[in-house]
Amino acid sequence: MKGRYEDENLYWIPVLIIFVFLLPFILKGLSFSYKYYLFVLNMAGIYIILNVGLDLLSGFTGLVSLGHAGFLAVGAYTSAILVDQFGVPFALSLIISPLIAGLFGFVIGFPALRITGMYLGLTTMGFGFIVKRMIIAFREWTHGSGGLDVSSPMLFGYTIKSDWNNYFLIYTFVIIAVIVGRRIAKSKIGRAFMAIRDSEQAAEAAGINLSKYKMLAFFISGIFAGFAGVLFAHTSSFISTDHFDILLSIYFIIMVLVGGASSIYGAVLGTLFIVLLDNLFVPLLKDQIHFWFNTQAGDIQSLIFGLIMFLFIIFQPMGLYGMWLKMRIYWKLFPFNPRQRFT
Amino acid sequence: MTDLFSGLTQEIISGIALGSIYALIALGFTMIFKATEVVNFAQGELMMVGAYVNFFFVTTFLSAAGTPTAWTFLVALGGSMIFSVLFGYILDFIINRPLKDQPIFSIIMATLSLAIIIRAVVAIIAGPISLMPFSPFGDSTVTFGNIVVSLLDLSIIGSAIGLVIIFYYIFHYTRWGIAMQATSEDPIAAQLMGIPIKRVYALVWIFSAIVATISGILLAPRIALLDTTMGFLGLKAFPAAVLGGFGSIPGAIVGGVILGVIETVSMGTLSFHFQWIKEINDIIPWIVLIAVLMIKPNGLFGVEKVKKV
Repeated sequence: MKGRYEDENLYWIPVLIIFVFLLPFILKGLSFSYKYYLFVLNMAGIYIILNVGLDLLSGFTGLVSLGHAGFLAVGAYTSAILVDQFGVPFALSLIISPLIAGLFGFVIGFPALRITGMYLGLTTMGFGFIVKRMIIAFREWTHGSGGLDVSSPMLFGYTIKSDWNNYFLIYTFVIIAVIVGRRIAKSKIGRAFMAIRDSEQAAEAAGINLSKYKMLAFFISGIFAGFAGVLFAHTSSFISTDHFDILLSIYFIIMVLVGGASSIYGAVLGTLFIVLLDNLFVPLLKDQIHFWFNTQAGDIQSLIFGLIMFLFIIFQPMGLYGMWLKMRIYWKLFPFNPRQRFT
Repeated sequence: MTDLFSGLTQEIISGIALGSIYALIALGFTMIFKATEVVNFAQGELMMVGAYVNFFFVTTFLSAAGTPTAWTFLVALGGSMIFSVLFGYILDFIINRPLKDQPIFSIIMATLSLAIIIRAVVAIIAGPISLMPFSPFGDSTVTFGNIVVSLLDLSIIGSAIGLVIIFYYIFHYTRWGIAMQATSEDPIAAQLMGIPIKRVYALVWIFSAIVATISGILLAPRIALLDTTMGFLGLKAFPAAVLGGFGSIPGAIVGGVILGVIETVSMGTLSFHFQWIKEINDIIPWIVLIAVLMIKPNGLFGVEKVKKV
């Protein structure tokens, strides 16, 4: 315990967890429209679970995935079909559906053994398209492009229905996902992932089984995405193929990169930053923008997304978490810091 | 039987026309990839911008002159060419120079975000309504026996062949073309030989923007609809390039044509005879891509690269 988390103040973590569970009550006390904020936070929570997995795959192992919305779709549709059409209890579906999404990750991992970089990005992008199309093709179960109504989650005899209850369900799993993600990143597996990212040849020479760990990365990432998919399907109560667009996959990668690739906290920060910006900040600007341009809000939103992404890559490749680390070091050394190092 | 045959021939010719456009898009980013190792995911968006700019030139001239003549389209083409030269130069400045030595992950994401930005800016300027582009040839067709081919398709095939010949000439017989080849072979050695590689890179981006603009101008009347989703068609050129072997110019052309033919034939005759083909029509390029990458990752014309430590 001591050696593994030497550089962290662990006593902050319980405080953060308590804060996460107190947040709905604080919001309720502060604002009348707390239900909307909870809805936004729920969405952010689902994306955080997925992005922790995506970060393990793309940030830690360096295997770019442009098709993670496909894994989300697999998890969501599997769980919806299992629970509503085969009568599997929700608690069991929470275990089965992520595993199936993980198996899909395993299948996509096969080409990853031979190809890297941009080719892998293209393959996963193709996977996203294929999943979307296959969902439409199996229309006896999925109702094609018309979408599918999903029942609310049932756990221990309680039906979880409102945004308020969903918040507690989702954030319990968010906390578990972040802790598990941290544990994986700091374990032998995580170090093997980072070695593969830095140099495949060197990793292989050091005795790391490349194919095993690459498949494992895809499997783990698929499980996280499938988990997010199950929660997405049952808390939003309606899913259709439009929810799992190629643009969503790109936004996931943007969230991970803006937060700072190869740090789990970075994935969390980036997701919160982008989702809150998208849902709370852009609507505030909407009236202003409509005054100047006669256009849809979606265009402005994607313009802002694109610009943020672009500026981050060029000026701050370490992301938000990197900025935070730099600031921390800056203040630690405060009066005696060499100026040039912190530009 | 003759009916099936003539229908198939017609589909293949139409497929070659569609494939020529894929080939041109693939040619655009293959050039960039060869010279600068940057994979430009925004190539489809460059195409879209070209189509939009050409559309606005044509409509301006039409409102000035009244009736459309051949000159309207030629002058609009010239205007779009000048625009694409400027656009390519600007892109070199904002994409290529800052990202030259970044890891591949950052480059992919930067060009993807550029694609998002371009799409949003075009949607803001041009409005959300899709436009109806003008075709210089109207609906006129040419008939060989019982095969009917639209003049537009023929012009697409013709201009694609013409462009490829021009670029072949430029690459192999001009000073700047040979400088480009040298730069893509080994940038440092080229620089030591006195080649201004920054200007060569700018030139490559300008060429690529020109090719993208031309493919946009050719594609817009063919799909008879112009809106911002046209950029997504550019993504289909990636399977084409991979099929031919990424980074090989003949490969890009052959791969594009093959994929175009597969797409039209599967949409037409095959869907008619096999019901299940209809379900997978629009993902055929991606299935081809995954199959190629699993069986022969270097494509038809690619050269295997040995990775050094």
